[in-house]
This record gives sequence, C-alpha cells and structure tokens, in this order.
Amino acid sequence: MERRDFLKTLFATTGGIIIGPSILAACGGTTTSSSTGLIIGTPDSPVTLPLVGEPIADGLTNEGGTIEILNWADYTNPEVIADFEKAFGVTVKQSIYDNEDAAIAKLRNGTLKPDLIIGMTDTAIARLMAAELIQPLNHSYIPNKTNLLTGLQNPYYDQGAQYTMAQFIYGNGIGYRKDRIDPSELAAQGYDAMWNSAYNGKLAVIDSYRDTISLALLQAGVTDVNSGDADILAAAKENLIRLRDATSPKVDIISYQELPAGNRDIAYMWSGDILLAPFYLPEGTTADVLGFWYPDTTITANDFFCIPMTSAKPVVAHQMINYLLDNDVAVKNQSYVGYQPALTSVTAESLINSGVIPESLVDAVVDDTKYQAGKRITSLTPETDALWNDVWTTFTAG
Amino acid sequence: MNKAARIWAALAAPGAFWLLFFFAVPFYAVACVAFGSVDPIFRDAIPQWNPLNWSFGEFNAVFSSVTSGPLRGVFARTIVYVISAMIICFAIGFPVAYYLARHAGKRRMLLLLLIIAPFWVNYLMRMLAWVNLLSPSGLFSRFVGIFGVQYNWLDGSPITVILGLVYGYIPFLILPLYATLERLDWRLVEAARDLGATSRQAFRVVTVPMAKAGVAAAAILIALPMFGDYYTNDLLSRSPKTEMLGNQIDFYINNSSQPQRGAVLVIMLSTLLLVALSWYLRSTSRIGKERVR
Repeated sequence: MERRDFLKTLFATTGGIIIGPSILAACGGTTTSSSTGLIIGTPDSPVTLPLVGEPIADGLTNEGGTIEILNWADYTNPEVIADFEKAFGVTVKQSIYDNEDAAIAKLRNGTLKPDLIIGMTDTAIARLMAAELIQPLNHSYIPNKTNLLTGLQNPYYDQGAQYTMAQFIYGNGIGYRKDRIDPSELAAQGYDAMWNSAYNGKLAVIDSYRDTISLALLQAGVTDVNSGDADILAAAKENLIRLRDATSPKVDIISYQELPAGNRDIAYMWSGDILLAPFYLPEGTTADVLGFWYPDTTITANDFFCIPMTSAKPVVAHQMINYLLDNDVAVKNQSYVGYQPALTSVTAESLINSGVIPESLVDAVVDDTKYQAGKRITSLTPETDALWNDVWTTFTAG
Repeated sequence: MNKAARIWAALAAPGAFWLLFFFAVPFYAVACVAFGSVDPIFRDAIPQWNPLNWSFGEFNAVFSSVTSGPLRGVFARTIVYVISAMIICFAIGFPVAYYLARHAGKRRMLLLLLIIAPFWVNYLMRMLAWVNLLSPSGLFSRFVGIFGVQYNWLDGSPITVILGLVYGYIPFLILPLYATLERLDWRLVEAARDLGATSRQAFRVVTVPMAKAGVAAAAILIALPMFGDYYTNDLLSRSPKTEMLGNQIDFYINNSSQPQRGAVLVIMLSTLLLVALSWYLRSTSRIGKERVR
C-alpha cells in the first residue's frame, strides 16, 4: 500500500484529524519524522489508534531489578514510590523531563530509554504514536482501570485506552486570595477579573501559550480553543495586549507558591496547582485565604501513563500503573503532588474529609461532569501552531 | 619567520584550530537550522546543510519583526538593560579593581578571595536567594521599608533585572580589570604627578588610556553573556515588561514549533556581538601599536 493511500485509509477508519499533506511534504526529505500518520483525536471525533506491536502476554512474572521511569519533577510521592518498591521487590529510578517535545525528541534518538512514562498529555500522544514510541497495554495487569472516571476509561484520544491509562485530571480557573478579593465580586467578574486594572502588578497568567491564549479566547466568548482562524487569533492577540496593559501580569507557573506567599492576589491557574497551594502557606496562615473560581466554560485536561516500546520491564511498568490507580495509593500520591487523581472515588467530599484539600478549595475539584463539559486543548497543525506562536511572542515581548 | 616564531606558531596551532572548529561548526549548524525547515510532526528543526537550498522565509519574518514588529522592543530593551548593567558594573567594579591593584597591599589576596567567594555558589541558588530577599515579605524589602522605601522589587521591575545582571556578572568585570591595573607601570602616573598633574588629571590622562585594553576586555567579557541571558529575567521578573532577547530565543527553541526563528535570533545577536568584538580587537591592536611607538 502506498503511503498516501495508507494515510487516506487511516483517516477513513479512525476518524479524527490527520495532518496528511504536511506529513507527505516532510517525507520528501531525509527526516525520520514519521512512519505513520499524525492522528489527532478530539472529543467530537474520538480516535481508535492503530495497533502497532502486540501487548505483553498475560500472567508474566515481574522482571525484578530496576525500573526506570520518566516523570515530571515532584510528580509522584516519594513515599508511594518507596511503598511500591517494597511491595514489588524492585528499585525505581527516575529521570525528569520538563517539556514534552524535548522528552519525545530524546525518546526518539534513544537518549532516554525509560520503562514507564508518567504525565504526558493528549497533545503528545499523536507524536508518540507517529514515532511508534509506545506499546499497547495489556489491561489484564491493570484491574484498577475500573477505578478511573468512566469517560477516561475510554478517552477520546485513545479509544479503548489501548496505549494509555489516565492519571491526574484538572481544569483551568482563577485562583485568588479571599482575604483580598471578595469571592462574590470575583464570581461576578468571571474571566473579566483577569483584565481588571485594580489587580495591576498582583496578577499572573500561565506560562503556556496554549492555556493563556485560550483564556483570551474564552473571555471573548470563543469556545474553540484550538482555533486556526487568523482573525480570531488576531483578536485574541489584541485581547492579551489589553490584559498586559491593564494588569502587568507575571507569566510563570509558580502561582501555587506565590499566591499562598501573598506575593500576588489573583492568577489564572491549573486546578491542580491551587490544590497544591495550601502546602506553601506561611506559618500561621490558614487555607481559608485561598479561593478558586471555576468557570462554566473552561479547559479540562488529563495526563496519562504509557509504556515505551523499548521498555525492558513492561510487566513491572504495568504493575506500577495499576498500583498508582489504587484508590488509597492515588489519594496518598495526591497529598504530595497536589493534582487530583482521575478516579471515581476521589470526590470533593472525600478529599475534604480525608484532609487532603481544604474546604475553601472545593471548587477546584474536577468531577466527571466538569471534565466532560470542559474544552480540550489538542495538537495543532504546524501552520496553526505558528499563528499561536505569533500571538504569544507579541504578548510576551511587552 | 624565524625558528622561535615557528615553534610558537606550531604550539598555538592546536588551540587556534580547536577554537576555530568549535566556533565555526556550531555557528554553521545554527545557520543551517535558521535557514532550514521544521518537522511538521515532531516540531524538531530540520537543518538544511546545503547553503544552496537555504530558505530565508523565517529570517525575513524575524527581521521584519525586529525592525518594525514586537521584537523591536525586545531588542531595544535588551541593549538598554545590558548597557545600563555595564555602566553600573564599571561604576562599582573599577574602584574596587583600582583599590585592589594599588592600595590593598598585604590584604589584596584576602580581599580578592572575599569578592570571589560568593560566586562559588551556583548562579541559580544565588538568584533564588535574591528572590527570597526581595519578595515583599523578604528581609531586604523589610529592611528598606524601615527607611520608608516601599517598592515591589519582583513586580516585573526593570531595575531588579538590571541589578540582577550586575550582581551576576560583576566579578567577571573586576578580575580582568584588576589583572590589567595590577600590571600597569605606575611610575608613569608618578611622573605625571611630578610634572604637575593633579591626581584627577593623572588618572584621566595616564591611568585610563593605559587601562583601555583591560576595560574593553572586561566590557566584552560581561556583555557577551548578558546579551544572551534569559534566566536572570526568568527568576527575578518573568514579566512581559522585562522580556529580553534570550527569553524569546528560549521560547522559540524549547516551546514553539518555530525553532528556526530562535536560530535566526541567535545569528542576529551573534552578528551584533561580532561587531562589538571587532571593535575590541581593533582598539586593542591600536593600543598595542601606540605602545610600540
């Protein structure tokens, strides 16, 4: 089958979006970019990823030894890791990544050879698949899969969870200091609060062009957070410039420290970050000072576990995924990481009762309904991504 | 060329070749990225190694942004920050180097050690310490608050970024300046005084011209890394108001689908710095010739 025909077939059978012409153009060069298509699932057009390789056989025994995991910094509770090591008789070695693109590049060129990857998001899966970097999972090793929220047992980006297993879930909203901004006043302002010059010098947005440009879109009532329309993006750029001029925002990802420290009053944040904020409150300050406004229309997302094709310890990797999806283990993990496990048993009530989160942050908890209602950030075509980059560099250029 | 000169040339050749190779090859690689393309799937740069096939689309886009778009402000801001930081570095560093070279006496090595000691600590740790000290509840902010100074140093303040650059790079100015001043022939200054020059005149007419080469070397030594610096701004400000060229390069290379633009900015910055370096080489060679005369 010709490559062009293969891509056409893939598109017809999987649904979703394939960046066909660009891939074909790339194939003319010496790049090793792809041996398959870039398949991007969306909530409206879920994708079943084509099977590449076979899952490991059922009932294999643990390989023992050292399992190498690729993870974000501080993204798994060290106590949970120690418990896992003890329970399964293995040693866990971690490599850290801080950028999905860079991690994928290192996986492709063999610099990194982990047995398990933790924390990639659905914007990465198309590329992981295109480079055939991950292997299909054998669900018989992951009975705790049933603990996941129903929607995430069958995610739109990987129907049937053939390659991935969801871990944490979050939504975007506005974190703020209740002792400085009245909650009802903030709720009345909604997204407009981020443009309120009264918060000049005390406000921050996320240092992520996808999230912050989406904020400008959502504030303007545009719900397509993956828009490739140049006019819409030009308007978003103007909107962000207005935000910048009115509030002199900080652009970073440390609001979970700065808000509790009292160095800022309000910040556009991932809900997982505000759930982490109470750990950074100065001594003598209670968590009542922290608040989170969760918009009706916002972005929700999740990350996932996946096992590289080159994993030397796939059985232990499966066991670790299953372990981290255990209800009790997941809550223990959250008590360190802050981010909320995507499990049915994890509810606002259970988290408050177990003391994992304070009552003041109840709105930051994302349940299945909120998750399903949220907008998803998905991979963009290179042309659209370039437009988004232009908006961002204009905003950050000051 | 006599025998001695040939021996020295032979000894210098490996080092010169090493430097040339490790400048020329990476620079060519950056150019190949800048004028190459991007993998549409993985967003990696695809260098175009054949100059005949170079594409100048991204270069033109960046050039237009630098001349009349958002990058113009970033370029101008970076130049202003670096020049301001250099002026402050000289205002602080020259007297220190002068004192060490002329008046420190037996305490010279101890003082030199004390100046350098803080810089044995990792740059990141030192900057994070400043973040702590300068935060509204930090020790420094509280201390200056006693005198009625209420200023949010970390509120995306250009002053903080400039002072951060000064703090980060000043030892690299003091050391070459000290080395230059320490080797000056101070008998010439004494002769000037004997001939009736005031101390100020002797400094201006004798010391400064003799120290020119060291001043130029120190200026170049701190300017080069300052122009590409992005982490000082990242740690002390992270505000669009203080965005520097290094931050834009960081974004394009690490977080965007347009790494060629980052490479183009690197080339533009390198060209600017090469001009400065040429001026340094010309001025030092002129000073050398004057001395020979």
